[in-house]
Amino acid sequence: MNSRNEIELKNFFIFNSTYCIKEGEEQNKILFYFPPTEDLNTQINNVGLVEAIIKFTGNFKSQCDTRSLHTLKTRQLYYQPEKNFWMTMTLNLPFKVKSKEEVEQLDYMEDEIQDEVYNAVLKQAYDLYYLFFGSFSDGSGSDTILLKSKLMNHFSPYLKSIKLAHCDIMNIFNGIHFLPLNKQNFLNVQCFINLLECTYKFIKYTAVLFNDCLIWSSVEPPSMQTIYQYLTGILLPAQMETEIQGGSMPRNSPFTSTHFGRYVTGPSNLKSAESLGKIPKVHLNSEKSSGTYYMILYRALSATVCLFVAGEELNLSLFRDLDEFMGPKLTTIASDIAEYCAKHITPITNADNSPRFIYFNKLNLACKSTVHLDNRQSGNLATGKDTIKIMVDMDDQKSLIGLSGEIIVKTMNDCWVVGRFSNSREFYLAMQQKNASLIEINDEVKKVCDTELKGIFFHPM
Amino acid sequence: MTEKFTYYLELSKNPVRFEPVNQLTNVFFDDSNKQVFAVRSGGVMGVVVKGPSEESKSLNFRMDDGGPVISIKISLDQKVLAVQRSTNSVEFMNFKGSNLDNKYSQSCKKNATLLGFVWSYINEVALVTDHGVELYSVIPEKGTLKHLKSISVTVQWFVWCPTNKIALLASSHGSQLLPVIFKPGSVSKMPKVEGDPGRMILERDITLGTLYGTAAVLILRHQNAPQASEVHIHLLNGSSSAPIKRHVLRLGLSGRFAINIVDDLILVHHQASRSSQVFDINLQGENDGTVTYHKAVAPAKSIQPTCLEIPGLLEPQKHACELYSADWVVFQPNIVIDAKLGCLWCIHLILPELCRQIPDLSVCTQLVLNRMNGKEVLLKLLLDRIELPEPPLQQLQSSFDCINILYRKWIESELQIQTASPAGAQLPSKIVFQPRVLITQADMYSRVFQKLDLANKLQKLEWVLISYITSLTQNDIPTELSLNEMLVNTLVKQEKNSALVQFLQYGVVSDSKPLACRLLSLGFIELALDMFARLGATEEIIEILLDQEQVLPALQLAGDKETPRKFLQVAQNTGNATLFHSTVLALRSNPHFKESFLKDERLRVYLNHYASLFPNSVNTSK
Repeated sequence: MNSRNEIELKNFFIFNSTYCIKEGEEQNKILFYFPPTEDLNTQINNVGLVEAIIKFTGNFKSQCDTRSLHTLKTRQLYYQPEKNFWMTMTLNLPFKVKSKEEVEQLDYMEDEIQDEVYNAVLKQAYDLYYLFFGSFSDGSGSDTILLKSKLMNHFSPYLKSIKLAHCDIMNIFNGIHFLPLNKQNFLNVQCFINLLECTYKFIKYTAVLFNDCLIWSSVEPPSMQTIYQYLTGILLPAQMETEIQGGSMPRNSPFTSTHFGRYVTGPSNLKSAESLGKIPKVHLNSEKSSGTYYMILYRALSATVCLFVAGEELNLSLFRDLDEFMGPKLTTIASDIAEYCAKHITPITNADNSPRFIYFNKLNLACKSTVHLDNRQSGNLATGKDTIKIMVDMDDQKSLIGLSGEIIVKTMNDCWVVGRFSNSREFYLAMQQKNASLIEINDEVKKVCDTELKGIFFHPM
Repeated sequence: MTEKFTYYLELSKNPVRFEPVNQLTNVFFDDSNKQVFAVRSGGVMGVVVKGPSEESKSLNFRMDDGGPVISIKISLDQKVLAVQRSTNSVEFMNFKGSNLDNKYSQSCKKNATLLGFVWSYINEVALVTDHGVELYSVIPEKGTLKHLKSISVTVQWFVWCPTNKIALLASSHGSQLLPVIFKPGSVSKMPKVEGDPGRMILERDITLGTLYGTAAVLILRHQNAPQASEVHIHLLNGSSSAPIKRHVLRLGLSGRFAINIVDDLILVHHQASRSSQVFDINLQGENDGTVTYHKAVAPAKSIQPTCLEIPGLLEPQKHACELYSADWVVFQPNIVIDAKLGCLWCIHLILPELCRQIPDLSVCTQLVLNRMNGKEVLLKLLLDRIELPEPPLQQLQSSFDCINILYRKWIESELQIQTASPAGAQLPSKIVFQPRVLITQADMYSRVFQKLDLANKLQKLEWVLISYITSLTQNDIPTELSLNEMLVNTLVKQEKNSALVQFLQYGVVSDSKPLACRLLSLGFIELALDMFARLGATEEIIEILLDQEQVLPALQLAGDKETPRKFLQVAQNTGNATLFHSTVLALRSNPHFKESFLKDERLRVYLNHYASLFPNSVNTSK
């Protein structure tokens, strides 16, 4: 038997026990099951086992605290996003084959899977479903057929797209990368957005991205978080691929007045379009901005504008209007920002051995990492995976620290990992330094903090 | 809109009334003093002088019979009367009260024909003849004149500009135009006005005036093509004041025109259409490198109709004045005289009405920024446009830019003045830049933004504030606290917390202690801490930390000035013995605070508390 290095998805299912009243109708409570090839009896058995575990552990603790089940070969994670609706994910642990006295032994690596990370993955999966379909209970009604088909439509492709092996602390933060822009450029974006909202009153919310960084959003952060993950994780990478192939890029003659704007969701070619194309409807869920909105995405050069439009009858002439309005302005803004970025922002490289950090601000969900070399969950890291695992553990323990504090860990291979918590921010640092003393490390951390955490209050430590 | 509101030009409500021209009476106007002379029977039956306004005291006197008067003007100090009755001499008479005495006269050079005369300065008079200009000094006490200077040049007719003391001498039927400038005791030639060679210009087609502080010659050019008349403006500010053609006004009409200048705007009246156009040479136009071509800033409109009260048989009657009548004579800068009616009006601009006729807010702003009383009008205009259901944000943006470019220049010049020059050093001639209309942040705050600070206008206020702050940023002007606070409050009132966070994040809202306190009171503790940290306000940070019972981090920030008591008090109040112990330990290990443990009696209570908590500890410091 070969060794297995990667985490595998064994199964994933969503159930609601209240949908099965009589014995023999157990299949009714299964709303979604992956892999679909598994036979019904196994499905029912698996779901039944989970039900039993949750019921049983519920005797000792309140239900929501049951989050995972550790077994020798697998890890099972639970998440109850709505009352009686449970999402369960079972992962196969990676293992190594060890030969011990001629006998082959499988060594399962339990530490490879951190519950916090994969619980976060479950939550992300639900949030994305909610964004497009609303809550489970809304979708079900008297009949579960509709809900089942929605779940099928969403989760089947989604499960295939998750890169389970590369999930880490970033899934927990589920943060947003903001573009470090100067005041003037930001205000120019603001003025553009204001003009847009003032001219087209049906636009309720807006967001502006540059590449995969957010510049502005009037959507409340919890919803924006999910939209951001969707855009940067799924939609825009696909979009960029078609751009590279030259698919939807309009080819204008150089003599017509050109701008580079075009719709990502909406009519792909305004000249020949007969229909509007696919415009997703999204469910925003926060105190202020609940409801469903059309999400129109418009892109010029590297800048993307998201318009959230409520209940408006969309038509082609409206899209033409908007295109005429946004195209030239957004093109100018995008090229200004690109110029600024080229001058002031240095990309993260893997070149040197300088300390690497991950920063997260709970307040605005801003996240920044020099540990990850891209924003794609591709496993392209500047430090070892273990250091990130230490950070996850620190994050898990932060409640013990209180309002501010610090944890310093030294690993066996002379890697130092420092976690600092202050003023709703988390700051993790990893550095490789042989024979360093605690004081030296502290000085190094202070140096990085002084340059990276300018302009905010961070507790002196 | 009522009919009343469609006029942007009006005649003065209270015109100067004088005896109309008739068989006996001749009427003269002196544009140096803006006085109208009604001369009855050559002065024998009396002369009435009125002006410049109806309220100013009128002058009555009689002159001896000496034949018909050609021209009559009083000296600039109102002491000497000069009358021209022949083509070779001018008579002078001194005023003694309202009577005249001491008649003396001055002839021009032999063989020359006198074309006219002007009072150039007090007691200086220039005779303009077909042979040139003769400048004399008048000595009223002696009743004589003294020759000062002459210029020899052929002259057919001339135009006088009393404000700039420039006379434009024309020869060769107006194709040669030579300006001469008068200085006290002297007169000198200036470079010629470049004209189209061989083209005749009539006297009535020339206007001399001042545009934005620069002397200007305005020449009306009648083109062969219909509706293509133009006004060519030569500004006398080239090297050694050489006149250079800078602007062309395209009238789009043909026929008879008259020109006035009001508040540096050029009014061109057209008789046939009975309407007037307004031009501003400071606005942008088509430019070919040297000459800018202008169109009227607003559609041509008639002057607002006006009435005169005429004594009737029973009661005064109203007489509607005929506008643009053939009897109108126009003088600079803004005078219209109807000699038949016996009326002298000044033309005034109704700026708000003119603005109403200019659809583009940005153009309108540029125009108003250059008007003498533009400030109130502009603030009102901005507010009006913002109050529209769909405020024209883009136009407002460029309007703000126009305002703030001037604001920026003014700030710079103010800063220069305030920069101290070394003592004893000759003060360099620092020119104060004082724009005609200066709209500061305080003006915008109190006159525009505060008016929008209502529950149903918050969104609008936010948009406009952002737009204004963007423009300030563009011009490197720091935003004042009042605006920052207003922006924060506007966002908070709309519950746009995440927007507020983003504005702070990108530094749109400038840091200040009052604002940080405001954030603190709104419950944005993290943001307040950040701002205090950026401001280096350690004391405030310590207070916040203590409020959160973070005694030890607060101690780490504490400098020497803090009193140990407040830390101890907070630590004691928490009831956390370990924390209290750490606090005492931290204070004692600090050399500065260690002292105060020995000196300050008030700390004893805490030491006692410590002893009660930890009875076994050895109190080493005692």
